[in-house]
Amino acid sequence: MSTIRVRSPASYWLAFPAATWMLGVVVVPIVLLVWVSFWGGRAFSTSSPLTLDNYTKFFANPTYIKLIGSTVVHTVTLMAVTGVLGYCIAYFLVVKVKSPRWRLLLFLAFIVPFWTSTLIRAIAWVPFLGVNGVINQTLMFVGATQSPIEAFLYSRAGITMAQVSLYTMLAAGPVVYMLNSIPPQLREAAMTLKAAPFTVFRRIIFPLTLPGVVIGQVLVFLNVMSDFATVATIGGNKHALLSNLVMLFYEGSQIRAASVVAVMLMICMLVGVVVALRVVDIRRLGA
Amino acid sequence: MDSLAHDPPQSVAVQGLARPQLDLELRGIRKRFGGFTAVDGVSLKVEKGQFVCLLGPSGCGKTTTLRCIAGLEEPDDGGILIGGKEVTRDPPWQRDIAMMFQDFALFPHMTVAKQVGFGLEMLKKPKAEIARRVQHVLKSFEILELAERKPASLSGGQRQRVALARAMITEPRILLLDEPIGALDYSLRETVMLELKLLQQRTGISFIWVTHDQNEAFSLGDLVVVMNHARIEQQGTPEDILQRPSTAFVAGFVQGNNVFHGRVVDHSAGLLRVETAAGTFMVPSIGKAPDLGSEVSFSVRAERLTDAVTDQHPNRLSVKCTTVEYFGAVRRHIFQRRDGELLKYDQFGAQSQRIAVGQTAVLGWQVEDSVLHVGVGG
Repeated sequence: MSTIRVRSPASYWLAFPAATWMLGVVVVPIVLLVWVSFWGGRAFSTSSPLTLDNYTKFFANPTYIKLIGSTVVHTVTLMAVTGVLGYCIAYFLVVKVKSPRWRLLLFLAFIVPFWTSTLIRAIAWVPFLGVNGVINQTLMFVGATQSPIEAFLYSRAGITMAQVSLYTMLAAGPVVYMLNSIPPQLREAAMTLKAAPFTVFRRIIFPLTLPGVVIGQVLVFLNVMSDFATVATIGGNKHALLSNLVMLFYEGSQIRAASVVAVMLMICMLVGVVVALRVVDIRRLGA
Repeated sequence: MDSLAHDPPQSVAVQGLARPQLDLELRGIRKRFGGFTAVDGVSLKVEKGQFVCLLGPSGCGKTTTLRCIAGLEEPDDGGILIGGKEVTRDPPWQRDIAMMFQDFALFPHMTVAKQVGFGLEMLKKPKAEIARRVQHVLKSFEILELAERKPASLSGGQRQRVALARAMITEPRILLLDEPIGALDYSLRETVMLELKLLQQRTGISFIWVTHDQNEAFSLGDLVVVMNHARIEQQGTPEDILQRPSTAFVAGFVQGNNVFHGRVVDHSAGLLRVETAAGTFMVPSIGKAPDLGSEVSFSVRAERLTDAVTDQHPNRLSVKCTTVEYFGAVRRHIFQRRDGELLKYDQFGAQSQRIAVGQTAVLGWQVEDSVLHVGVGG
């Protein structure tokens, strides 16, 4: 396909700019981060001795351990909700909407909100979730409740609601792609082989979209794990996840503790991605 | 389920004796897509174990007809009976059919063995039986060594066999085939055609084979159904269609016919005199003679012409040869007719007299070799 041979000088030159960039903004900072997390003493100095003290302190505090647990639980919840919603939306868009014009319109309606930044979208939830917010006003108007419910804003439920809206598209996108690449004849062939619609879905469609599901889940997983902005805006100061702890230590100039939590966060993410790759060979996507 | 299918209730059995059992009956089915009519009143009867070919140019409605039989499209109007049972509104998975798709539609994530066993799995057969029957079918299709492979690693011919094995394993009443060998290399097609014909005869399953290739249709079909513009133009044995085309479309679509359009200027004693732009010719009338002055068409087969014209050949025309082609043992001469159309003349073997390109010849044919087109349903 390409006229440039593998391992030729030209191919190395092509890879050079991106490789330099990644080295500078990803590899070096991560190495620094890991290094700092082992620093002993109190001075901000490259001559600090290397110790395990920072990690010992982290693991000695049950609150932090629980925070890892609750971060994982929160992330898994979000993966489940966005996974189901995203799959339904993708299936609806690709399979049920027959008119190309409607499909485009719905798809635009679906992605236009994502043209604004994550932070703005998170803040936009505040007027919805607040005590005098849209949701409470509506509930009181229809008579579902007498007094406003305070559980929406500054609560775990509110964070989850906002993040579901933020990340469902990440879960849906790869599934849309995979569904689109399934020839309609496969569905028809299965039906003529006596498979009823749900069986066709279970045996043919879902297995073929599985790589898309897994990629979507990885994207949601990584984004939710690292999303401190939504948690800070919607959760106020009452709720925190691992990423907020990094912020907290950083703002308190506790650079060693911040590094330790950041390293823990990265380890959690790495484990998650490795598990995902075990389930499905993502490299097959391009084939 | 099985016992019901094999021991029909008494009344049905008596009915079955009263008339020959039909595997399939289409009663005037119609299908529109928006403003486009894809199938316009198609009726067809398929007897038990018949090999039927739906033949026609692309867009003629043959594939839509097949999809209606499969239940993949629901006709707007008309009825479909499979084995005497009304199934018009039944979904595909409740019909006693199997289908082979043009590009085979193999499931990319399943091994050949899993794929071929899929139909039996859907029928809830016991695991041991599925394994045994898959083994048997793979062996009889000579693809046993492919059992654990996935479709991506198979050749075109192998995929075709897997698709066929997958469709045949459930022993359906009717097998629907949508251009089943169109995706194969040309060199493979003849072998595969022969194999499929033998398979059909051995199993007694009715085949409904959609194709645009008349060689396929005429060498395979017990019944050939020629379609054009959403309608059936003619149905009959290959012999009927080849020797007695009933419309100008069929005559023009089938290779080797010379078609003439003209007006009836005289008729007597079962003979019509037809005036065309290429000359005036005698054509035997079929059935009720058409009125004087009415528009008719007729055809004459290329091999029925002769350049040794005698008193036996009242139909004659003088034409100039433009091309000579060879089809195996056949030498085909193409002439320019006076009306601008082409005239084809086939010679077999080593006939002494040869006509060269550029030469003008007088060609003639006997009156009874003119075939009058009597129209749809005639």
